[in-house]
Amino acid sequence: MKLNRRAIFGTVTAGALALSLAACGGDDGGDSVPEINGTGASFPDAFYAAAIEGYAEANPDAIVTYDAVGSGTGKSDFGEGLNDFAGTDSLVGEGDGPEEGSYQYLPTVAAPITVSYNLPEVEALQLSQETLAQIFQGDITSWDDEAIAADNPDAELPAVEITVAHRSDGSGTTSNFSKFLDEATESWTLGAGDTVEWPSNSVGGDGNTGVAQTIQDTEGAIGYVDLADATASGLVFASIENADGNFTQPTLEGTTAGLEGAVVNDDLSYNPLDAAGPEAYPITAPTYLLIRTEYEDAAVGQAVKDFVEYLLTDGQELAADNHFAPLPEGLRQQAMDALNETIAD
Amino acid sequence: MTTVHHGAPPDLSGRNLSLRRAAANRAATVGIGLCVLVAAFPLILVAYQVVVRGGSALSLGFLVEEIPRNYRTAGGGMGPAIVGTLLITGMAALIAIPVGVLGAVYLNEYGKSGPLARFIRTMADVMTGVPSIVMGLFIYVVYVVVIEERTGFGGALALACLMLPIVIRSTEEMLRLVPDELRQASAALGARKWRTTLSVVLPTASSGITSGALLAVARAAGETAPIIVTVGLTYLYRPDLFAGQNTTLAAQIYRNATQPFEASQERAWGAALALIAIVFLFTIVARVIASRFAVDRR
Repeated sequence: MKLNRRAIFGTVTAGALALSLAACGGDDGGDSVPEINGTGASFPDAFYAAAIEGYAEANPDAIVTYDAVGSGTGKSDFGEGLNDFAGTDSLVGEGDGPEEGSYQYLPTVAAPITVSYNLPEVEALQLSQETLAQIFQGDITSWDDEAIAADNPDAELPAVEITVAHRSDGSGTTSNFSKFLDEATESWTLGAGDTVEWPSNSVGGDGNTGVAQTIQDTEGAIGYVDLADATASGLVFASIENADGNFTQPTLEGTTAGLEGAVVNDDLSYNPLDAAGPEAYPITAPTYLLIRTEYEDAAVGQAVKDFVEYLLTDGQELAADNHFAPLPEGLRQQAMDALNETIAD
Repeated sequence: MTTVHHGAPPDLSGRNLSLRRAAANRAATVGIGLCVLVAAFPLILVAYQVVVRGGSALSLGFLVEEIPRNYRTAGGGMGPAIVGTLLITGMAALIAIPVGVLGAVYLNEYGKSGPLARFIRTMADVMTGVPSIVMGLFIYVVYVVVIEERTGFGGALALACLMLPIVIRSTEEMLRLVPDELRQASAALGARKWRTTLSVVLPTASSGITSGALLAVARAAGETAPIIVTVGLTYLYRPDLFAGQNTTLAAQIYRNATQPFEASQERAWGAALALIAIVFLFTIVARVIASRFAVDRR
């Protein structure tokens, strides 16, 4: 018995040793291209994941990761030096992490934010901007409300209670959606930001997929979800009134039309919300990468540059497949120029 | 010690119970049986669902291949996540179990009910109730931000913090079960206190200590939140815990299950089944070791 026990002790110790040895044995590998890690927005995650795969196929030596932890964490990671580039849907504000002058915005793609709803009998729904604001701040609580009926003269609206689905986490999608309502409508009173004080009849969901799930499961639900997740979840979208007074569906063409109508600032940030143009879809979310103006390790800087260059050239062709709108040519060229200026060869 | 029963031994079979007592007995038995069913029902459902949905994803390739970079790409595997899970929880166990067992030895053999021991005991109890994300954020602040990199070792530290109070408390309970007569007998034979602890107390309690420690390991293997904060993400095998981001099965389940794409959701089910299988193996190993170590009581 005693020997037996000792033998087992020995096996356990040997196993533990093997584990720690395996842990200590590093893999130097001798790669010339350093691995680069990005963290940030979950909204463009599906596109970045596809682009990283495409980039890896073209450059088997390069290793790029993108961890969709949210715009807020991406920016604070950038400030702490935990990532090599960050993805963000919202601009850098005070206290977000990155110091002024330490970063450069690079727009990559854009995508419409859909207003998805769950009313099995209503196949098409049109919403004016004011009605949309009143629904989401809880002023309109039933689907057969007069304001909705006025937008949809032909539809038969059921007397079903409205459930507003929103993001429970701090989110760039919330920021863009609330910013649109704040800028475009007069009745919106909840302000704009990564989080908003939603009315009490609303339901929070984690991430775009969480909101999509809530809409799918709840009859009478309405919520804002990015096009990629909404399409993949099989949701139905409302047509939204744009600046020209037309009701438009969230499509990639409508988004690109919106981007062309947007004014681009000097730092390459731009606001495509409620852009002019008859075809433009009004709720369009831009997304940016933050790259460092100075990389401690020049090889890392070069690796970041190579990857972002791919995103802005060949990678753009992957955008539409993943329900993202590629940048219009003018903006894409501006982004390329900024990249070349920020990270010299 | 005068005996109370004369003649025939008492009938203990229950055949002569009054009708009321027999009915109460039957009702209680049925009630307990129903409770067992109710308790087992969700467990069986979860296991059934994971096995059915994960089983179709699981294959040898799934266990060894690298993780696809794109959610929508079918195929690929979870190899790096399986290795990451084993290494990170293994490292966490290496840190937490020795410290936890020695801490418990102090509490039960030396500190007893002194003020310091009581304080540590209370803190350990409080720490078992702290949400795992708090441990993750703690390690993020004191380790990840300081070394400016997310690594597997950061995750191991966070998991070790989670395991430590569980190991301390379960070990202490086991040590308390060791009869004082054994310690006195050892002392009477001239053994010093450390000798008594090392060759009498710990071996006597070893089966309980082992199963307690391995339960803590199994719990840590399923943690998601602290891993996401401290470990980062990789698609490739990363055997080095000290440099470069890593990943675990739990983190991959979260990452893939929250995507709307079928391929990634299938991977998440497969990863869930792989994780349950690993934890199941841990538990069986714990049981076997515990029964092998059990001291023959005569």
